[in-house]
Amino acid sequence: MNFGFLDERFPSFKLARRNLTRTPLRSGLAALGIVIGVVAIASLGMFATSLQVNAEDVTSETNSQVSVNPGPAARDGRLSERDVQDVGRAVPGATVIPQKQIQVPVSAGRDNSLERASVVGVERPDAYLEASEGQVPASFQSGVLVDSLIAETLEVEVGERVEIDGRSTRVRAVVDGGGFSANLYVPIQTVEADGYSSVIVIPPETQTANETATTIRERLNVREERVQVPNPDLLSGLISGFFDILRGFLTAIGSISLIVAGVSILNVMLMSTIERRQEIGVLRAVGFQRRDILKILLSESMLLGVIGGLVGAVVSIVVSLGVNYYLVDDAMLTFHPRNLGVLVIAFVFGIVTSIGSGLYPAWKAANEQPVEALRS
Amino acid sequence: MTAIEVTNVTKEYQTGEETFLALKGIDFSLARGEFVSIMGPSGSGKSTFLNIIGLLDQPTTGSVSLDGQDVTELTDRRRTTVRKQTIGFIFQDFFLIPTLSAKENVELPAIYEIDETIRSRATMLLERVGLGNRLKHHPDQLSGGQKQRVAIARSLINSPRILLADEPTGNLDSETSEQVLDEFTRIARDENVAIIAVTHDPQVTEYTDRTIELRDGRLTS
Ligand SMILES: Nc1ncnc2c1ncn2[C@@H]1O[C@H](COP(=O)(O)OP(=O)(O)OP(=O)(O)O)[C@@H](O)[C@H]1O
Ligand SMILES: [Mg+2]
Repeated sequence: MNFGFLDERFPSFKLARRNLTRTPLRSGLAALGIVIGVVAIASLGMFATSLQVNAEDVTSETNSQVSVNPGPAARDGRLSERDVQDVGRAVPGATVIPQKQIQVPVSAGRDNSLERASVVGVERPDAYLEASEGQVPASFQSGVLVDSLIAETLEVEVGERVEIDGRSTRVRAVVDGGGFSANLYVPIQTVEADGYSSVIVIPPETQTANETATTIRERLNVREERVQVPNPDLLSGLISGFFDILRGFLTAIGSISLIVAGVSILNVMLMSTIERRQEIGVLRAVGFQRRDILKILLSESMLLGVIGGLVGAVVSIVVSLGVNYYLVDDAMLTFHPRNLGVLVIAFVFGIVTSIGSGLYPAWKAANEQPVEALRS
Repeated sequence: MTAIEVTNVTKEYQTGEETFLALKGIDFSLARGEFVSIMGPSGSGKSTFLNIIGLLDQPTTGSVSLDGQDVTELTDRRRTTVRKQTIGFIFQDFFLIPTLSAKENVELPAIYEIDETIRSRATMLLERVGLGNRLKHHPDQLSGGQKQRVAIARSLINSPRILLADEPTGNLDSETSEQVLDEFTRIARDENVAIIAVTHDPQVTEYTDRTIELRDGRLTS
């Protein structure tokens, strides 16, 4: 490699580089420590990102819907016809989807059954469900739609039959209910229950889901708490808060390996300044100031950090490409903007660690009396 | 003109409880262009004296002036600057930096200068000590005499007015010593540099203007 230009501009850099290449194995091992530390921090951080992005995918769909549930003042813990109408009036332009939910046993064939599954009666499933197989009917009179989770559990496909509470019915579509939902959707008139268990509201274009939730709460809960409407972003707020903590925690674990790397750099720099004691004395004798010595030795530890950090960052990217490819099926998730931050932090930690560990040996060598150093 | 003026210098070493007086009141002066040798038994304080003149160490009492400037009480920073500008060192063990080539070693004391002429000056100095064909060699590829000549070239890079040599021929055979000493004589004569060479080697005294004896911390001449 040609460092001519850098060497000429920064003589300290040249001396530092020559010193590190003098004992390549030792320098390599010291840098390897930083590599491991940076990889630990970066890949744990990027792993947290993958988990988070995955979780956000799952929650993003439920984010655009508002779920209205019975409040403490609701009779029998169900929503009435009037409640549903009031919800519609509160948010003009919104799509209002009343649901009747019951828990009943379901089964498919002889082998697959669930003791209690959530069966949701709904009138207009096409308003909020999307089919991944088959078709979601606009007019829902017969048959059943199952969430992909249920389809997997019961091992059923479109066209096959499932038994709901003893009544056999045909699967018309496999749907993606959003979130972690595991429901079977049936025509609302087939569910024998008074009142509604919940109402799904899809906000009008002019409102966010949060605003819609607030409006409904304000309009219906004037005298008593008829409905409970959680803010849809509450969940994603919780989730992103959780992942921030997780990332911090993983970074902290990774940092432990950096501390080890720091100790190894401290050791290497101490050894090398002791070995070079006379040499440093010569530099002082021929007119190098204390700060020149400091500069040279700090350049050495910084170089170890930069090399370790760069290699570490590259290795982390490779590791993350692999992890994301196999775990999330999307290798490019590695280049998520959040990961850029993770990489920068890991790299900076690596350099700060090396400079920090180099500080004491450098300070010690710079402050030695030249006579003492030369005598040895 | 006096290059070095030393007045009543003492040096005490503290080892544990004991105080050892290595220099016991030394008066000494040296003119520019003069070449002197300091001789004396081992432990008589020669290196101590040289280090004090060379601003590597400080006297316990007394004062040192270089080129008429009192340098006894300077800060480390100023002392280093004066050392760099006025003094060249040559050591018995050469003390070349192993990672640097002959030429880079010579440039070393001026490495932070922006002066463009340093490079050609380094080459010129190496040519003058007969190493024009060894510029890129590293210390481990040079003989003892060649190393000492690189060290001499290095000591001259900043055009010092004073050259201090501690046992410059201690590791050289007599033929190589002669070459080195010839070079010293030439530097003193042609460049008007004051040279002090501390030595055990009687051969050195044949080349010097005068010889000083240091015995038990005192000068006798
Ligand atoms: N740092 C020190 N601490 C204590 N005593 C010291 C120290 N440096 C030198 N001395 C003592 O001072 C005396 C003079 O030492 P110095 O090195 O000047 O001798 P020298 O004349 O150069 O000897 P040599 O010819 O063997 O090199 C010696 O007795 C030595 O033990
Ligand atoms: Mg000595």
